[in-house]
Amino acid sequence: MSNSSLQTKPPMLELQDLSVSFDRQRQLAVDRVNLSIQEGLTLGLVGSSGAGKSSIARAIMRLHDADSGKILFRGEDILRMDPREMKAVRQRIQLVFQDPLASLSPRRSVGQTLLEPLQHFALGDTLSRQEKIRHTLHTVGLDHDVLRRYPHQFSAGQQQRIAIARALVTDPDLLIADEAVASLDVSIQAQILELILDLQKDLGIALLFISHDLAVIRQIADEVAIMYRGQLLEQSSADAFFSGPAHPYSRALLTFASSAEPPRLPDGNWNLEQARSAMEVNASCVFAHKCAEKMPVCEQLEPRSHRIQYRDERAMEPHCVKCHLYDEATGNEN
Amino acid sequence: MTVPALRVSGLSVWIGSGADSIQVVDGVSFDIDPGEATGLVGESGCGKTMTAMAILGLLPSTGVRVSCDHIEINGRDVSRLNTAQRRKVLGRDIAMIFQQPATALDPVFTMGQQISAVYRRHADGNQRRAHEAMLASLESVGFERPEEIAQAYPHELSGGMRQLSMIAMAMVCKPAVIIADEPTTALDSSTRALILHQLQQLQALHGTAMLFISHDLGVVRQSCRNVMVMYCGRLIEKTDCQNLFSHARHPYSAGLLSCIPQLGATRPGRISSIPGQVPALADLPSGCHFAARCNRSEPRCSESTPVLDAQDKKGVACFRPL
Repeated sequence: MSNSSLQTKPPMLELQDLSVSFDRQRQLAVDRVNLSIQEGLTLGLVGSSGAGKSSIARAIMRLHDADSGKILFRGEDILRMDPREMKAVRQRIQLVFQDPLASLSPRRSVGQTLLEPLQHFALGDTLSRQEKIRHTLHTVGLDHDVLRRYPHQFSAGQQQRIAIARALVTDPDLLIADEAVASLDVSIQAQILELILDLQKDLGIALLFISHDLAVIRQIADEVAIMYRGQLLEQSSADAFFSGPAHPYSRALLTFASSAEPPRLPDGNWNLEQARSAMEVNASCVFAHKCAEKMPVCEQLEPRSHRIQYRDERAMEPHCVKCHLYDEATGNEN
Repeated sequence: MTVPALRVSGLSVWIGSGADSIQVVDGVSFDIDPGEATGLVGESGCGKTMTAMAILGLLPSTGVRVSCDHIEINGRDVSRLNTAQRRKVLGRDIAMIFQQPATALDPVFTMGQQISAVYRRHADGNQRRAHEAMLASLESVGFERPEEIAQAYPHELSGGMRQLSMIAMAMVCKPAVIIADEPTTALDSSTRALILHQLQQLQALHGTAMLFISHDLGVVRQSCRNVMVMYCGRLIEKTDCQNLFSHARHPYSAGLLSCIPQLGATRPGRISSIPGQVPALADLPSGCHFAARCNRSEPRCSESTPVLDAQDKKGVACFRPL
């Protein structure tokens, strides 16, 4: 897909200033996040545990109420939909979770598991449903002789294939994969990533791929968004991000992710105790307490989101970073 | 010649009894020298954890059968100890760091109580000295305020802090050998880097030998000098990490390496995966267990079993290595 078409098409899903909180608004899990996902492309959402990645997924599915902001699905705000409209959207957006065994009912056979979404959304008749189920199982690389078997009779990789089949059986336009390969062995992980890439190519679905593993994101994502403590710190095309991550946090994440050398701690304060005590402090930049490049202004003022200007072929793709380092440098970064 | 800190020879484990028993560990032998870290890599269910549990003697006495030539810690055979003798060894000479600190720690005692208990049993019954050793151990894993951690219950700590506390508990008696079973699997990348860093520092400081179990070759590369690859209960390749990454000899090791996603400025091409699936342990093919998935296999691979030189640091169990 060329960059220009990426710019002109309206996004499939757009989050505008989305905030989500827990515990009667005492803990802000998602803090004014703006994000968009284009038709047929993959957005990789990255961050450490507790960054708010899953809260975004849950808010999109309305599994948890958002506090404020908008979630536009093809231009319509999901948060304002009544249950009937929401049901139609749920057919279009499906979710795959981290732990396949926990997300499949142990009492239902694979056939029953895949039939339920079709019944719920009243798709097809009895005959075409069976055909659809067989076809979907085939797409994820399973034989139809698995229909009568139960989740515990499968390996973890096969279970994740079943979970993906369950999500695909309603022909969604957007698949949200929440750490869908995190609990799998590397060899199985490679198979599932391969499957997801193939499915996307064949079916043209868009993907919100949530992961803490940058190497996995590199394999699968067209665009990358980096979250920390509920805030979006950087968003960019995958190529621009991996050739030059802009935010100090992103650079630290890349250092952590490179497995070539002995474990190296990036500069900055990565002490675990500090992380905990700083939870209560409302620093103006959420990353200031760990940042190796902290300046006085970082603890006084919340940074704006800056768009990095490129003079080369990356100029068409917006690369945004929320960091004071770019306050004056905006326009000079190349 | 130095005496290896840990020597395992001919270790086999069966689950079940009689004709129905399944062999989950098959003739595993290796040495780890003092101060050396050796990784044990393989997919889920290949027998990594069973190997560790068998070394520690933690497998149940019913339903499981263990056989071995010997398991030596600093030259002393610990494989035929009775329960009371074994208790003296566990925690003092050899300690374990488990994958799930949340389930391996006792929820009703503070971290300080749990760590001091280990020290008082093995090193010094004096309460005050045990307290000091406990605080020193917590400090050595990188806690700046060890008193706070000592007073905390496991549920009050984050996953990374729990894992660090567990490392402090394993190291409090400065054992000769530690076995770390997937110590960073449940943690995110920054916490993982911190924990591997601390583990390596401590190991270098005390000259502890480490058996590091993981399914993640990247993590093993970061923390170990040597590596052993396991498949269906057998060790199939032993080498040093650098060599494995630059020149893996067993086709399965090479397959595992190619599954690791790569970071880089350009988007990598197709991910390769190993064709087929791990065979069921109850129904293992004869000969080389990997033959059916291997693109280099020939008839003799499924007729006879390639073997690994028992005590050598390097070797490959393959008739047609790469």
